[in-house]
Amino acid sequence: MDGPMAVGHGQQPQQQQDQQQQPPVKVVERLNTAVQQQLNLESVKTRAISLFKAISRILEEFEVLSRNNSVPKWHDVSSSFSMVNLELFNIVEDIKKVSKAFVVHPKNVNAENAAILPVMISSKLLPEIEADDNAKREQLLYAMQNLPVSAQIEKLKARIDMIGAACESAEKVIADTRKTYFGTRQGPTNILTLDKAQAAKIQEQGNALRNAVNHGQGLRIPMEQRQMTSALPAHLADVLPIADSTQTISDSSGMYMKNTPPVSSNIVNNQATLMQASGSQLMGRAAASPGGTGASSFDNTTASPLPYANSPRSAANMMNTPSPQQQTQQQHQQQQQQQRQKFIQQLPQHQQQMLAQQIRQSPMTGLGQNQLSQLHDLQGQAQNKYQLHGQSQMQFSQSLGSQQFQGRQLSSGGIQHGISQSQLNQGNQLNRQFNQMSGTANSALFNAAQATPNNQMMSNMSAMMTSQPHVARMQQYGLSGGSHNLGSQNMNDQVFNMGAGNPNTMMPMQQQQHGSQGAFGNMQQNTQNMQPGMVPMQNQQNHTNFQQHRQNQ
Amino acid sequence: MECVVQGIIETQHVEALEILLLGLCGVPKENIRVHELCLKSGPNLGSEASEIRILCDLMQPEPAWTVRHVGGSMRGAGADQISVLLRTMVESKASKNVLRLFYLLGYKLDHELLRVGFAFHFQRGAQITVSVSSYSKMLKLHATESNDDNVPVSPGIQMVEVTAPASAENYTEVAAAVSSFCEYLAPLLHLSKPGLSTGVVPTAAAAAASLMSFSGSTNM
Repeated sequence: MDGPMAVGHGQQPQQQQDQQQQPPVKVVERLNTAVQQQLNLESVKTRAISLFKAISRILEEFEVLSRNNSVPKWHDVSSSFSMVNLELFNIVEDIKKVSKAFVVHPKNVNAENAAILPVMISSKLLPEIEADDNAKREQLLYAMQNLPVSAQIEKLKARIDMIGAACESAEKVIADTRKTYFGTRQGPTNILTLDKAQAAKIQEQGNALRNAVNHGQGLRIPMEQRQMTSALPAHLADVLPIADSTQTISDSSGMYMKNTPPVSSNIVNNQATLMQASGSQLMGRAAASPGGTGASSFDNTTASPLPYANSPRSAANMMNTPSPQQQTQQQHQQQQQQQRQKFIQQLPQHQQQMLAQQIRQSPMTGLGQNQLSQLHDLQGQAQNKYQLHGQSQMQFSQSLGSQQFQGRQLSSGGIQHGISQSQLNQGNQLNRQFNQMSGTANSALFNAAQATPNNQMMSNMSAMMTSQPHVARMQQYGLSGGSHNLGSQNMNDQVFNMGAGNPNTMMPMQQQQHGSQGAFGNMQQNTQNMQPGMVPMQNQQNHTNFQQHRQNQ
Repeated sequence: MECVVQGIIETQHVEALEILLLGLCGVPKENIRVHELCLKSGPNLGSEASEIRILCDLMQPEPAWTVRHVGGSMRGAGADQISVLLRTMVESKASKNVLRLFYLLGYKLDHELLRVGFAFHFQRGAQITVSVSSYSKMLKLHATESNDDNVPVSPGIQMVEVTAPASAENYTEVAAAVSSFCEYLAPLLHLSKPGLSTGVVPTAAAAAASLMSFSGSTNM
């Protein structure tokens, strides 16, 4: 029958089939133990047959439905299935109770394995397997054939025990390995799957990676070995100027030359050209004159000590002998100077006069020149202020001696830096941050320059410029020139301090100059020029204030 | 402020890690390709050199620039109790002029990195970001595109970083969220504070194998 129940044989080779005759010897035994079971078996068989009939009935119904292509009544279908399922369950339960010892029944019978199940359940071995089995049995018992049965049994038991012990130990080892394999999560202490060398290598590489990512170790290329890649990637092509490798180096010489071309704004371009024109003049060395227009206006105020008669800056340059350090900077400052000269030429005449005085006193580093070019930005705003303070500034500036001149060189950088900071904070354009720090004339222009983007600064400046009592207050503020975030008020104060004419007040100025220099439009040039410039400044003169203030920076 | 943990994983297991993260996070992965420039300030900007990082996201059609400053980490008894590193971090988007700006300020290029990988951003107790990336160093300046001048810092090993923004008030919860998430990744990699270095996990190979073989279903 093709039912869920199949009967295998137990420990005794018996076949329990209703059709077959059972061997007489064993029948007795089976009957003894299985009397009740027999009864149950028959009932189970009956039930199985009825279940089988019910299932076949359902299958027939489905076939009819499929032939008619009609939708079955799902409620009926499911109820019939549940009935079948229940019946099957009951049968299986009974079987379990009855035949625990020697019945094997499959758990899952479906279309795939229904056909092969009887064969699989059958306990009769295949002929060849049976022969193999007999051969092995003979081999096993060969040594014990002569012994009595009990001895054979003992030996077999011992053998079984040994095998059992071996199995247990193997299982234990497997369990332990599994535990350590999956249980622990510590890193370097448990290295079971990797050998030591490999693990060490991985550890070392991992550390290198961590250090590289977190601290940049192993990634720094010394300046000498840095070479620009042949093709800049797209995202850097328009951001960095051409041949920008020098930007990353604290070497000022490259900066000057390279930064002038990529300047974006028109104003800065003007400044650049201007400085180039005026560069040579301001350095006070035997350079060609820029030959600009309106040069004569500068000569009106003072007698020029310089040999360049036809340059706008000739009158302004009161530089003493150019220092060796200054001369080294002349190269990069040349451009700036030229630019500044052109720039100055574009200013109105009175402004040019003031600029001339400022330039006269401006530091050799050419920072002042850079600052001057920023004045171009002032346009109309500054002009008024210049007119206001022109007279007072001019007189003031002339009172400043060379002593202050030295100091001024330093301070220009400082103020520039500070102003740049404040203006950066304000989000202003960089090219507006020219700081002409030398003298009150410078300070006035500086203030005016500062005021261009910030009208408030202008008003403050004008207030300060005209009132003497502010000097004391300025000194206070001036001392704080080292701080970078200087507000407009602060900057003006410090600037005004310079105009006080007291050598001691040079201190804040120096700081300011140094700081604000960085804010210049061609700022890179200034900043980096400042650095080498500052150092030689220190060595030039025995200017105590100067050195003191240098330290403050 | 952010909570951050780092770990390393062998490149051969990255695919398995990606599958695991995909299942854990439930969001699609985002590819990363970032050129990171680390700038150090010059002497004119104060007595202490400060470091700033400029990141350029090269995955976008238009490169997106970000400025990032990483500050000091929390120290003390409280820091030892949490298993993540808590540090100040300030980040901001910037225009493409940011690099030039910092150069003009006096910052100088200290080192640069190219970071290629993928990341998952999801919410699980906190806004967590997991990134798996391979870092390359450039033999020539700014050589992000040419493959000759780009060598991985550690071939065969990639860096995994789990970060989550936090504030002073909620950092304990964020740290707990990050730690609990890291527990899920324990079979594959060991995550720890960036200062501590750990190796790879011994179970990584087995876990990766099981993750990779999950795709094939067996007929029962």
